[in-house]
Amino acid sequence: MKTRFFAWLSIFLFGTVAPALAHHSAIAEYDLEKPVKVSGTVTRVEWTNPHIWFYVDVKNVDGTVTNWGFSGAPPGVLQRRGISRGSLKPGDQVIVQGFRAKDGSFNGSGDTVTFPDGRRVFTAMEGLGQQR
Amino acid sequence: MKRVVVLLFIALATAVSAQTPSTSTAVPRTGDGKPDFSGMWDNPKPPGARGPATVFDRAKFPPFKQGGEPFYEPRTGDPRHDEPRAFCMPSGFPSAFLGPYPVQMIQNARTLVMVTEFMRVARIIPLDGRPHQADIEPTYYGDPVGKWEGDTLVIDTTHFKRWSLDDFYYVNPKEYRMHSDAFHTIERLTRVDANTIKYDFTVDDPKIFTRPWTENWEFKRHPEWDKTGLFEMVCNENNRCPGGQCVKQ
Repeated sequence: MKTRFFAWLSIFLFGTVAPALAHHSAIAEYDLEKPVKVSGTVTRVEWTNPHIWFYVDVKNVDGTVTNWGFSGAPPGVLQRRGISRGSLKPGDQVIVQGFRAKDGSFNGSGDTVTFPDGRRVFTAMEGLGQQR
Repeated sequence: MKRVVVLLFIALATAVSAQTPSTSTAVPRTGDGKPDFSGMWDNPKPPGARGPATVFDRAKFPPFKQGGEPFYEPRTGDPRHDEPRAFCMPSGFPSAFLGPYPVQMIQNARTLVMVTEFMRVARIIPLDGRPHQADIEPTYYGDPVGKWEGDTLVIDTTHFKRWSLDDFYYVNPKEYRMHSDAFHTIERLTRVDANTIKYDFTVDDPKIFTRPWTENWEFKRHPEWDKTGLFEMVCNENNRCPGGQCVKQ
């Protein structure tokens, strides 16, 4: 119950339910009771439809590394907002917030991407409609 | 003689400029004198509204027909049922055209084409006042026909499959609204100025509701989008997690 409360709270605070507004509902793919926040190094960006995907190497506490996949907004939506494929590059250090895929795999909605200097890039669909 | 030519030139220039729209609010027209809706537009919204997908206002719903078909579709937990778009099934009309994507309109005397960036869905609407086709199969986007009532274009659409009405379930995942196969829409488009189309959208679904109701929305023009037009959007390129089951990297 507590988890659900915080998941919904984060939705209201950060607008992270926003992938729902893209290709289809987030509830079809992501578990809104499992928020994810990781930091790591971008390894690959797929500038593809219906959502872009980017991959981040995340160092675990035991020293192993997990490669997480995160989905973002459709490329056209980002391009209209002046965000191009060069906005996020392999090697970039980022913090990613979103929700984990329903199958429990290391995939999620990449709703908020923050650089070390605080800049936030293509926060999946954050403010879509307001910022377009 | 020279003076006459100069005066004629001035008179001609004045006449031409008088016929040229002098302000940006003038309504453009096609060669046949009808309002021209061509251009890039934001998805229709209530006047002054911001935000992403537009949904039908529950406060306007008329009473349900007693013994009528269900409007709310229970969730089953099966993502193929609960969100078929996750598997690249279509949104249908009007849902696809209400999402947070631009709509491009292209018009000539015979046809209006409305294309939404969402999956690049196109509605091809004949404007010659023809009746609906007879004996055609129901579809996700229906059979639209258009006719002019003065400067207002009236688009009447029938022959729908039973399908989701709008994206309200993004707002409340428990409320999945379905129209019936008797769904019938009437759109009235009036270009009130260069940047606005008044868009009155009437829903008539006699298997569910006791009477039709109308939303008063508008399209807002975005000339800055003309340069790029619509971006491509396809579903099957990299749909990695359909129904929450992700394809391995």
